[in-house]
Amino acid sequence: MSFRLGLLFSRIRMEEKMLIQEAKNKNIDLVKIDSRKLIMGLSGNYNFDMLLEREVSHSRALYALNLFQGCGFKALNRYDVALLCGDKVATTKALEDANIPTPKSKVAFSRESAIQAIEEMGYPVVIKPAIGSWGRLLAKVNDRDSAESLLEHKEHLGSYYHSIFYIQEYIKKPGRDIRAFVFGNKTICAVYRSSLHWITNTSRGAKTSCCALTPEIIDLSEKASKAVGGGILAIDLMETDDGLLINEVNYTVEFRNSIQPTGVNIPEEIIKYVIEVVES
Amino acid sequence: MIKLGFLFSRLRVEEKHLIKEIESRDDTKLVMLDSRKLVVDPKSNLNIDVLLDREISQSRALHLMQLLKNSHVQCINSYEVIRICGDKVFTSKALREAGVPTPEVKVAFTRESALKAIEDMGYPVVLKPVDGSWGRLIAKIENRTAAEAILEHKSYLSSYYHSIFYIQEYIHKPDRDIRALVLDGNTICATYRTSENWFTNVARGGKAIKCPLTPELEDICLKASQAVGDGALAIDLMETEDGYTVHEINCSMEFKGSMEAQSINIPGMIIDYCISQAKYN
Repeated sequence: MSFRLGLLFSRIRMEEKMLIQEAKNKNIDLVKIDSRKLIMGLSGNYNFDMLLEREVSHSRALYALNLFQGCGFKALNRYDVALLCGDKVATTKALEDANIPTPKSKVAFSRESAIQAIEEMGYPVVIKPAIGSWGRLLAKVNDRDSAESLLEHKEHLGSYYHSIFYIQEYIKKPGRDIRAFVFGNKTICAVYRSSLHWITNTSRGAKTSCCALTPEIIDLSEKASKAVGGGILAIDLMETDDGLLINEVNYTVEFRNSIQPTGVNIPEEIIKYVIEVVES
Repeated sequence: MIKLGFLFSRLRVEEKHLIKEIESRDDTKLVMLDSRKLVVDPKSNLNIDVLLDREISQSRALHLMQLLKNSHVQCINSYEVIRICGDKVFTSKALREAGVPTPEVKVAFTRESALKAIEDMGYPVVLKPVDGSWGRLIAKIENRTAAEAILEHKSYLSSYYHSIFYIQEYIHKPDRDIRALVLDGNTICATYRTSENWFTNVARGGKAIKCPLTPELEDICLKASQAVGDGALAIDLMETEDGYTVHEINCSMEFKGSMEAQSINIPGMIIDYCISQAKYN
């Protein structure tokens, strides 16, 4: 089939290169939309049929998706999915409402109440920015002294969202977590992300290896995908003695380190799913 | 007995009036919710029936409303309404889609594209933070030199949202604008805010004078209210040669100026509205 695919980006990473190549292989007409050059009105016409969002900045992605969809374009991922997945409070809420196992969390809005919430939960806890990625500013807090100094530092960070304190119970995981790729509510493949550090993001040095899909991984990942609205998603799971927990759902999926271990052509699967959505 | 949660972090004049009003009622129990002391679980309902949001920090209000979604608690205003009204891009878009007159807007994501958008629109333009209030950091830009300097300064501001550039055409208005208080689509009063400065926020020294309600004004307020999902709202309008244009809609609004200019019981009407929402649901 022939259609024009808009690719929203601001940096061409390895992922974007692969996606562009896959689109070419499938004879898809690709329109590159550099968000840095974009000026959007409240209405407007664009020369593509569908938008694939690959923007690294969450705020840009959110506003661009909202405005493009307002102009009547289909987008992957959708604005509402990006809104949920981009904010950990919102993701947790969606997962809990769908009764999907996820680490216990509390939300507080000041240093004082955050300390209280942390002490009630018991150390260690994890403090995360409500909006953030690549493991940046994740803090494992082992005691009250570090909680106090961390919260004080957070307050001085300036950004609006650092005054939302998202506090999560610390899950002891076996030196790794699982990232499952779910496109259109279908689990494509999964990798382990292993690290000696408790943060297992590959951008922080974690190594990936193939994780065989089990019925439990598939079931939970697809439930999590549905809970946030579906699309092109990477679901982070943690292994505990009582089974799997869903930790996070990512919406602008990085996959460069997951192709080789799984043997799955992830960019091709993404483009295949894009075609499926266009045709539907 | 209706349990009315009162979300706040600072008690301004408005909050004091609202609290007095709630306390005067036999059928309503006031539950003070100081956001600075709150710790919220994703499944909590705070043991209240209805929540009146009087929080000055919009990020706090938004996240709390999100956690109360799918519970029985009726929030004034709802998560969706706060999400739209708290963000100038989403407000403009909602108004435009509903056919409500609103100033022309461009959105850009870098200094360079913002400058281009400003030059395309033509000076003067108004540059606003998408999530700001009280007129803070609103800049009227008269020429390229000013545009370059302000965009550079903006890029050094740390907040996340300062990288979304919201550029609005400058409306030549008389030295006043209008703030209408609208409950569930009904305009209860309107107030002129006059100022010698180009911005007319009462918080920045604007003076309040009663503005008579006309069918035209009530009609545009109704449409604007519906466009963002209705609730307890303050709708800011400007007068132009072609009629009214709506430039902002505020949740958790300030109405001190309106109280000075009006003889109606504004806090009483807001509380009536909150209670009506709890009973209907």
